[in-house]
This record gives sequence, C-alpha cells and structure tokens, in this order.
Amino acid sequence: MNKLNIQPIAEERIKIDITDIPQGIQINMTGDIDMEDPSILLDPFFEKIHSGMIAQGLAEVVADFKGLNFLNSSGIKAVAKWIMKLTDLDEKTKYIIKILHNKDITWQVTSLPTLTFLVPGGVKIE
Amino acid sequence: MAVTENLGRDGYIELKFGPRWKYIACVRGFIQNFLAISIVDQAKADKIAMAASELLENAVKYASHDETHIVIRVSPETERIVISVENTSSKESIAQLKDVYDKIIEGDPFQMYVAQMKEAAVRSDGKSHLGLARIRYETGGDLSLKISGNTVNLSIVIE
Ligand SMILES: Nc1ncnc2c1ncn2[C@@H]1O[C@H](COP(=O)(O)OP(=O)(O)OP(=O)(O)O)[C@@H](O)[C@H]1O
Ligand SMILES: [Mg+2]
Repeated sequence: MNKLNIQPIAEERIKIDITDIPQGIQINMTGDIDMEDPSILLDPFFEKIHSGMIAQGLAEVVADFKGLNFLNSSGIKAVAKWIMKLTDLDEKTKYIIKILHNKDITWQVTSLPTLTFLVPGGVKIE
Repeated sequence: MAVTENLGRDGYIELKFGPRWKYIACVRGFIQNFLAISIVDQAKADKIAMAASELLENAVKYASHDETHIVIRVSPETERIVISVENTSSKESIAQLKDVYDKIIEGDPFQMYVAQMKEAAVRSDGKSHLGLARIRYETGGDLSLKISGNTVNLSIVIE
C-alpha cells in the first residue's frame, strides 16, 4: 500500500496505480476512460488523493497519463475538477500536480497542456 | 436532410447507430481503421475518431429515438474530412445544445475550451458541457449545427 493508503483502481478497461515517490505520490493511468459517467470512479479517487496530500503535507503528485489511450470529455471534467481544488490551498497545504504526457497519443498532446491553464503555477506538464 | 448528397468523388462511410454505450468504443476503433487506409495524417485520424466518439456519446445520451445517423466523408486529394451526426431529440436538449453551441462558436477555440473546463469543474448537474468545445479546439475544425424541428445535425469539417 502507498503512503496515502488509497486503493488502486483495476476495472476492465482502466487501471490506476499509486506508488510512493520521495516528494509525494505518483499515479499511473493505463487503458481507456470512456464510460458514460467517469465521475463515479474518478471524483472519489481524486478527492482521496487531494485530502491525503493535504493531511500529510506532501509536495507533489506526479500524474502519469502516458498509458491512457483515451479520455472522454466527462473524464477531462473530472481531472479539471481535481486541479481546480488547488485554488483553495494556502502556503501550508499547497501541492503541485506534475502531468506526464505521451507525445505519441494525439489527444494528450492537444488536451493535457490546456489543464496547466486552469490554476496558474499549480500544474506542470512534461 | 440527405447527408450523403453532393458526394462527388469523395469516399464515405455511413452508419446507422442504435444508441448503446458499448458500441461507441467499437465504432471509434472502426473509424480509426477506416481513416488509417483513407488518409496519411495519423494525428488527424486520431482527432477525427475522438470527435466522432464525443458526438456519438452525445447521441446516446440525448437522442430521443434509437436511430442516430453518422456519416464520415473523405476527399481523397485534399484529405478534407466531414463528420456529421444526426438524431432527434427533446426540446430541452435541443435548446441546451443551441445555447452551448452559440456560446462556444464565437470565441477563440482554446480560450473557450479552458473556460468550459473551469465551468465544468463547478457544475453540480452532472453534465460537463465540454464535449463540443473539446472537439472544436482539438480538431481545429469548423463546427456547425443545423436544427429542423426535433432533428439536430452536428457536423465538423476538418481541412
Ligand atoms: N446530439 C445531441 N442531441 C441533443 N442534444 C444534444 C446533443 N449533443 C449535445 N446536446 C446538448 O448539448 C449539451 C452540450 O453537449 P457537450 O457534448 O458539449 O457536453 P455534455 O455532453 O453535457 O458533456 P461532455 O460531453 O463534456 O461529457 C448537452 O449537455 C446536451 O444538452
Ligand atoms: Mg458530450
């Protein structure tokens, strides 16, 4: 188990793993997020990440999207909702999200960088 | 509306889609394969498959009858692609569609997409209103909406 004690997700078409890194945690997404309502899965997951990061005063979440072949717009909304939570944080609780993207997956090249514009300074992409 | 008119020398596929969520991923894969043999630019093929997938999601969520009509046209020389999806829907959904369309169609595609993302994050009705803005930004295409009675036709032209 990881330091936030969050269960990984292993559904038929999507897997999300969580591993510890020195400055915080890393989440790895693989598969496709194309269900009718991804918020059922993603909202509680990102909420746990968010509250765990704050509770433990960790500095960074690395969100590795490189294995995610497809993410529908409802899924993008769930990610945007998580990122927007960063706006409520003060100096003590604030953490950053570093997105890792795959240059060979077209939607990642076009859509993932736009997420860095939601909260200036809160999200980095590489 | 005859979606197959004026085809000229264009290649096309036309599908009637009985809205079931499970079919979307399968149709997306099919479109990807169709485009792989029709055009050279694979990034463009990916964007079109994404756009078709978002449009079909809408058709499944908002069409009032089972049958949705999707046509994808390819002009062989220019690799110009037209996707159009047609379905019938309720007055409420059509009004909402027109609102979202009117809102996003004027502004800069990137700015509108980011604005819709920010709004989506605070919505509480379970909707995202992000699909159309995403299609417009990611494909860089020309989105157009036709409404006649209870029939809606959304199409996108990608040069
Ligand atoms: N094919 C359609 N027929 C009828 N109404 C539609 C259709 N497509 C979209 N709409 C209406 O337009 C709105 C905007 O569609 P859009 O795809 O941008 O967002 P969404 O479907 O609400 O959320 P998302 O696609 O981000 O998950 C929808 O909420 C729906 O009310
Ligand atoms: Mg939609």
